[in-house]
Amino acid sequence: MEPVLDMQLDWMDQQGSWGAAAEPSKQGLTLADIQVGAYGDVPEESDNMTGRPRGAGARPESYRIGGYSVRSKHEIWLENASFLYEEALQRQWSSATDVPWDSIEPLPDDIEQAECQLATFLTEVEFVAGDVPARWISQTTPDYFEPRNVLLAQVMDEARHMDVFRKRALANGGGLMGATGGTAGVVGSIDLARDFTEMSSRLHISGEGAVLTIFRMGELMAYNEAEKAMYRLCAQDEARHVAFGVMHMRYMSETAPERREEIDCYLDEAERQILAGSQNPAGAQAESSESLAILLGGGKDQYDEGVNKLIAIRRRQLQEYQKRVRSAGFGERFDNGRSPIKEMLAASAA
Amino acid sequence: MAKFPSVVWFDAVRKVFNGDESYQGAGGGQCNCVAGMKVGNKIFILTFEGLECIDARDGKDKDLEEVDFYLDMPIADWRAMLKNIAENNRATRDCTLNTLDLDREDGLSTSRHGDQYREDLFFRYNQTFQFFFDASARVKTSY
Amino acid sequence: MVKTAAKTDSKTKSKKTTARDTVASAAEVPKPGYHWMNRSNQWDTRVKPGKHGLRLGDLNVGIYGEIPEQWQDQTRNPRGAIPRKGVPPLGYSIRDKADVWADSAADLYEEAIQRKWAPATDVPWGTVKPLSEPLERAICQVLTELCQYANCDVETISQWQHQMSYGYHEVKQYLATASFDAARMHEAFRKRALCNGGGLGLEGPGEVNRMILESRGGWSEAVTYLMLMRGTFTMTLLRYLEKFAYNDAEQSIYANALQAKARQMTYALEHLQYSIAHDEERKAIMATLLFIGDRIWEREMADHVLREALCIVFAGGLEKAPDQGYAIYQKMQRDFMRDYVGTCEWLGIKRDPAMLPEAMADYLEAS
Repeated sequence: MEPVLDMQLDWMDQQGSWGAAAEPSKQGLTLADIQVGAYGDVPEESDNMTGRPRGAGARPESYRIGGYSVRSKHEIWLENASFLYEEALQRQWSSATDVPWDSIEPLPDDIEQAECQLATFLTEVEFVAGDVPARWISQTTPDYFEPRNVLLAQVMDEARHMDVFRKRALANGGGLMGATGGTAGVVGSIDLARDFTEMSSRLHISGEGAVLTIFRMGELMAYNEAEKAMYRLCAQDEARHVAFGVMHMRYMSETAPERREEIDCYLDEAERQILAGSQNPAGAQAESSESLAILLGGGKDQYDEGVNKLIAIRRRQLQEYQKRVRSAGFGERFDNGRSPIKEMLAASAA
Repeated sequence: MAKFPSVVWFDAVRKVFNGDESYQGAGGGQCNCVAGMKVGNKIFILTFEGLECIDARDGKDKDLEEVDFYLDMPIADWRAMLKNIAENNRATRDCTLNTLDLDREDGLSTSRHGDQYREDLFFRYNQTFQFFFDASARVKTSY
Repeated sequence: MVKTAAKTDSKTKSKKTTARDTVASAAEVPKPGYHWMNRSNQWDTRVKPGKHGLRLGDLNVGIYGEIPEQWQDQTRNPRGAIPRKGVPPLGYSIRDKADVWADSAADLYEEAIQRKWAPATDVPWGTVKPLSEPLERAICQVLTELCQYANCDVETISQWQHQMSYGYHEVKQYLATASFDAARMHEAFRKRALCNGGGLGLEGPGEVNRMILESRGGWSEAVTYLMLMRGTFTMTLLRYLEKFAYNDAEQSIYANALQAKARQMTYALEHLQYSIAHDEERKAIMATLLFIGDRIWEREMADHVLREALCIVFAGGLEKAPDQGYAIYQKMQRDFMRDYVGTCEWLGIKRDPAMLPEAMADYLEAS
């Protein structure tokens, strides 16, 4: 005779809030659509150390296995995380099949070298934005799973960026060139930040904002449809990551004004180190700025023309950066003389 | 035959764009924003929602204050872009939206509100907008 | 006219750099030196796209395909590029091939990208119809625990990812897809729980999650618990749930989750096999881990909550859950034990039934 289970069913009385009936919107059943009843309540402080899904019934005997260091909403939250996550899911692309690799034709040696040097640099830096968010994901309570999911999508995006630039370097008779060491374990780097907002201000606002401009420029200076597609699609992803940073900083600025001065310090540092330094491919670093100038000018013999375009890129980078920081709620630094950006813009226009 | 620029023309492009599923992959996808198109002195307002461009209408100058961003080019440049698309079935090197944006002193994409977060939607959904205008290759256009 | 930098004199050099200097230097573009040109370990590489496009694995040609047994470089130097000297290290702790590698990682990465899905739009949510309350409660309970499994995947993988060195970038890239898959599963399970008049259930006991998250001795050890043990069970569970789905939406969710999990299992088994092949002691370590893990596993499986919920799901309601549902539940456990022990044996880790916890041994014997 088959054994019969003695059912207790006590758990049915210990479940989360009942009666949730989220309905799909025109865009399907999105994360925004399931913020129903108690399930849409995001705690200001999370006491969830067991990794339970937000809104699930808690077991008092559960182990505190989370060890989460990010448990305050203002430390990681942004209002549009659900949208950015869904957007990332929708806009995934494949570097294997969505880039028309067949369109690549042999290029003059100086152009190919410049393209490969830039690709080497971008291969090198892209996964900063993979390694670092990953580390923070595991330290963030699942009560804030929406921003965590955006970061997970970002790690995925960066893996694809690393891959597409490697592909480009090896697809046209070139190869990888010299690494720049543009990302290193030094104080003030994106990698070593010990606070999420500090990391995000460096990574999402200044770092990726600068790289977004480069990707857009890559599309402009493309020598074939493959490069055109590759840079355009990377730029889309990057713009999403930048949007995360802007919206998180805006949320932080509104909900934790006591941290504004501290955040201004990160921006000071970012403006010194990233906008003018080695992590900015349009910065003074020789490998990437020279290769950009060659690509923009159309060859070594038109270097000066390329430099002029590069200066225009920098201006654009700085203008967009300034507007993003304003959008994030930190615009006064540009009006009270704290930020050197205005001077940078004026100097580059001279 | 649809005359550019007109709501009829944008509607014809919408129809092609909304009906082609290939535009939903390869970096395309859902897109939620309101974009202005300033073609010389004429203004059109396009609304994108989900996977479709759901509306195209005539606009007034003050509508440009409300849109997330708007594309602004002299009519001759719009025509050059559309002719390039018609000849190649898609925008080629110098005629993609991003390149046109960077090639112009004041950019192609701009806004009145100056909020870069909203202006960045032009980048975040760039492939969708490119697909949208690429779809115009299948619309018989007169000028 | 291009503005180029003037040569810095010694006087200027000795001064502390100020923000204003930064402004000045940012406006200048140094004269080109082109010292970076003609520097490549291997030039003239021309990888052509194949039938399936240009895939990550296709790039492993010449020196670019040489994957060293150890990767001492602790910077982000791409494999095959010329490293720069004097770059402060980033502290990657996993630098041995045997600790991460699986030959299939590059293919799994591309496969994951090709098989993308968006729960919002690819799941036919309209097919979800009201169910009896006990059945809905049971489904929601199972989904809640599956959410926690997915969360455990996310937290485990992402706590290791940044520790893996760049020499093995294919694995890092595959794992980026794996953690993204886990996020998507978490999302899809939660959506199903909240869309049909139900809600989330009671959290799981968490003892196995603790075991997985605390396996910090090495990535291979984490893989043993997260993928070999929990992964095999999750695969079995998803297969049964797909079979007993109550609508096309659930079927779609479980089928998509199953594919992602299958990729994870492929990586895991190949990695563990590779790891053992390069270090025989690994086998003994894994045997020890599994001996301990089995006891924790048995304790968690003794928890009546998931068991009862699954019995209700498999029986289509409360009435037949204690007999019919329980019979299916037991069959599922037997299938799991057969696959789990079979995989261990395939890896060369002998599992003596006498050393297994009693309940697991019983299921194995009956399988």
